[in-house]
Amino acid sequence: MALADFLQQLDELAAAAATAFASAHDPAAVEAARVEFSGAKSGQLKTVQKQLGGVDKQDRRTAGMRFNEVKNQIDELHQAAVQRITSDPTEPLSRGGPYFDTTLPGKPHRVGHLHPITQSIEELKDLMGRLGFSVADGPEIEDEQHNFDSLNIPPEHPARDPLENFYLSTAQATGDGSLLLRSQTSTVQIRVMEKTPPPVRIISMGRVYRPDTADATHYPMFQQMEGLWIDKSVTMADLKTVLRLFATSYLGHDVHIRFRPSFFPFTEPSVEVDMSWGDDWIEFGGAGMVDPYVLESVGYDPEQVTGFAFGLGVERICMRRHSITDIREFYRNDIRFLHQF
Amino acid sequence: MLISWNWLQEYVALDLEPAEVERRLMMAGLNHEGTEQVGDDLTIDLEVTSNRPDCLGHLGVAREAAVLFSRELNLPAAAPNERGPSISELTKVRIDCPELCYRYTARVIRGARIGPSPAWLAKRLNSIGVATVSNVVDISNYVLMECGQPLHTFDLNKLAGPEIIVREAEPGEVFTAIDHRTYSLEPGMCVIADAHRSVALGGVMGGRDTEVSNETTDLLIESAEFAPLSIRTTSRKLNLHSSSSYRFERGTDPVGVDWASRRCCELLLELAGGELAQGVIDMGRGIASREPVVLRLSQLKRILGIEIPAPEVRRILTALGNEEVHADLGSVTVIPPSWRRDLTREIDLVEEVARIHGYQEIPEDTSVAMWPSHRSDQDRILGQIRSVLTAAGFDEAMTASIIPQEWSRAFSPWTGADPIVSNTPMKGILADSPKELGQADTVRRSLVPSLLDARRYNESVSNPIIELFEIAKVYLPIDDKLPVEQWTISVTSGEDYYTVKGVIESLIRALNRDAVLEVGTTEQELLQPDKSGELQLNGRRLGFLGELTADGLRAFGLRAGTTVGELKLDALQEIAVLIPRYAVPSPYPAMSRDLNLIVDERLTWTELAATVRAAAGRWLETLDYQDVYRDAEKDGAGKKRLLFSFKLRSGERTLTREEADAIRDAIVTACQQQHAAQLLA
Repeated sequence: MALADFLQQLDELAAAAATAFASAHDPAAVEAARVEFSGAKSGQLKTVQKQLGGVDKQDRRTAGMRFNEVKNQIDELHQAAVQRITSDPTEPLSRGGPYFDTTLPGKPHRVGHLHPITQSIEELKDLMGRLGFSVADGPEIEDEQHNFDSLNIPPEHPARDPLENFYLSTAQATGDGSLLLRSQTSTVQIRVMEKTPPPVRIISMGRVYRPDTADATHYPMFQQMEGLWIDKSVTMADLKTVLRLFATSYLGHDVHIRFRPSFFPFTEPSVEVDMSWGDDWIEFGGAGMVDPYVLESVGYDPEQVTGFAFGLGVERICMRRHSITDIREFYRNDIRFLHQF
Repeated sequence: MLISWNWLQEYVALDLEPAEVERRLMMAGLNHEGTEQVGDDLTIDLEVTSNRPDCLGHLGVAREAAVLFSRELNLPAAAPNERGPSISELTKVRIDCPELCYRYTARVIRGARIGPSPAWLAKRLNSIGVATVSNVVDISNYVLMECGQPLHTFDLNKLAGPEIIVREAEPGEVFTAIDHRTYSLEPGMCVIADAHRSVALGGVMGGRDTEVSNETTDLLIESAEFAPLSIRTTSRKLNLHSSSSYRFERGTDPVGVDWASRRCCELLLELAGGELAQGVIDMGRGIASREPVVLRLSQLKRILGIEIPAPEVRRILTALGNEEVHADLGSVTVIPPSWRRDLTREIDLVEEVARIHGYQEIPEDTSVAMWPSHRSDQDRILGQIRSVLTAAGFDEAMTASIIPQEWSRAFSPWTGADPIVSNTPMKGILADSPKELGQADTVRRSLVPSLLDARRYNESVSNPIIELFEIAKVYLPIDDKLPVEQWTISVTSGEDYYTVKGVIESLIRALNRDAVLEVGTTEQELLQPDKSGELQLNGRRLGFLGELTADGLRAFGLRAGTTVGELKLDALQEIAVLIPRYAVPSPYPAMSRDLNLIVDERLTWTELAATVRAAAGRWLETLDYQDVYRDAEKDGAGKKRLLFSFKLRSGERTLTREEADAIRDAIVTACQQQHAAQLLA
């Protein structure tokens, strides 16, 4: 073996030892470094020492001297490391206390989660608020006047069927026929219009009730958002624009709105609203221009004002956003579910 | 409504891609649900909204397509050859219930041959999923699916003469339909009867006794118009729904009644032979003339936001079958067609023009006027409450407003009035709850039972920490009035009374730093009497707080203890300071002192704190309870040691040590005098 190769090997060993001892901060690490380099059986020094015999005879003395130098150097590094971890005040063990394990988890601080439906509702309120719509609240237990009559749903209309509604058996006589759990939040719009002269720009949100049997896509109670804007010259173009602004704000990128003709008793024209979703269209909700009959029933003059209304199901929006596949999860309140949002 | 593509072509030539026709129909109001290949034909499923019964037949859909693609509509002639004797010699009709049956027509064919339908007819019916029976039955189904007018064919010889009577059913009258099931009828239902019995349930289903069989030769063809509401009620009550009832419920074309009868006879003569008696029996009310409807062209811009040229408006209305009776610069007046009963007002015409012209013409980028919107006080307060509760580690739950009676009985702190009960239970919402529970039909008076059930579910799936709150309405019945819908905040926690009370205190402080929370007694069966109380905020009832009894835990299937609280929002709303006013913090240092007093076991903190506050005077900044100890050996039985600290500060100068000590002494003296407290050295 050439002398130069042997010496280079020793230099590399010295450098590696310096790094190893410098990065050792506890006795176990220092000891591991000692065994690695100066270990009596298979330390790296031992390995290099064995090669000393292979060095050319005339160079063996030089090589031996250099070997001893490196050996002493490593012993000193070891001593210095032992000294350092026991007396250097920046070394944890020198304080005499237990080892500070920075990798232990932090102290748990439990933070509760808002229900995903609440999060969706708050977001919808916020978006509609920016478009000038204030939130209106109203009763969930309604009379037939507000739930049906004022919404242009006459007594013979199938939507009033006892099987389609939660009619309530109450002892009290209200004088307005039966009471029921509201089947849509349009009732709030009626109540607001009865009390407020136009212009009106509101959304009503909340629980509505329809007697579907609960399954993966139905629940007999769900949350609805309905918007209403009545003013002197509100048109269907305004409806389309507001829905587009709303959908664009919600999704964060530009979307387009498509109307398909439909039928609702309280709007005319009535449309199903789709919004663009990639190259496809997805259903967004129902909408239309408030029927003149409805305007008249709340004391507005349909020759003076026009307006639009739209409605959508909050659960559906929330399910689509978070890829939730079973609507019943919302009402099971499993903490493992709630903590995902 | 299932439509056969080939069948549709008989009325309107559509040399277009089916997909394009489907798309245009959808964009004009017939929602496309799907298309299936059936042999060499396509079956197209279109959703028909309840206002458009005219589209419940191929002709109606063809008419829409003809308008959309500007094609001719080919209407069959429906001109059967009458050869026999006058029909008045063969049968008669009497309507006893004109409010249930508006109109009844009959034609008679004698000498017909019953047999299978020809292939073309069978194919038409099969393509839309209608089973074939015999030429006679198939023809009436064919005409139904062609124009939407239901028909019924009787075996004339099985009818006990001399006349058909259309009447209201007798109470308990029994009727056997062609489905061979027996129905018990009641007044309000319309039956077709002969001299002895009812032979058909008008507009819903024919009867077994008079149905056409292979031996039938003479036919009576009924085409009638029944009252929609009566048909719907009858169908629902008997749970008997048919293609006929579906159409009568929605309303049929009064002019189409006779057309369908003639069309049916035309096909019968062609396919089953026989001889058609001359004339028709046509009883009941005549066809009311339609009122003209005026459309002011300015309304289009006003409602739709776009201008549509007058010629286009007139073209659309006319193509749809409206008869134009007047047009000038500003308006068009039309008489709507008999098959469009939904067109009676100006706004109806606006919608017609809009949907045919196309909603894609309406822009989606108008400039919407700015308008201020205000976040309601209630929403702001609820936002703060949610922040505090989630920061305190509570997750928000959402539960149904209708609960089992058993839960309702278990806890109702706000009212003793009986709960409101729904006539219809909520189905399927208790799937995860114990089986022995009754149905969910009680409108809840408290949120706590629902939260306890959510707690039980979480225990059952081994969730270790269950801290839940819900914000929703409870419904408190009041005599003679609509119920009070009270916004309520409820919590269920695995922690003890004091921990939950601390959370409630934080919640109150977030809304008002100075509000005073007090606790009185309450008697709630669900809660431990000593570890529960009624909460009062500035002297007004706020709610309830307490730990559940062992029985209460058992009733809700809970393994571990829980503390529940229920607060009403309006008590919080009343004290909430949404816009706090700035108070200058004192720049001077504070003096703190601790006191350790031996007091009677029954002395409450509220009582002691009141004394301390009064004695401390205006420099008292904070008073903090620290701890309670008991040392019966040194202090004697029935005593406890209350340790507390207080901080004094002036806004005007630095207080001296002597001043602070003097105040401490004054506090001690007051506590000695008023509560026989002893200062612990």
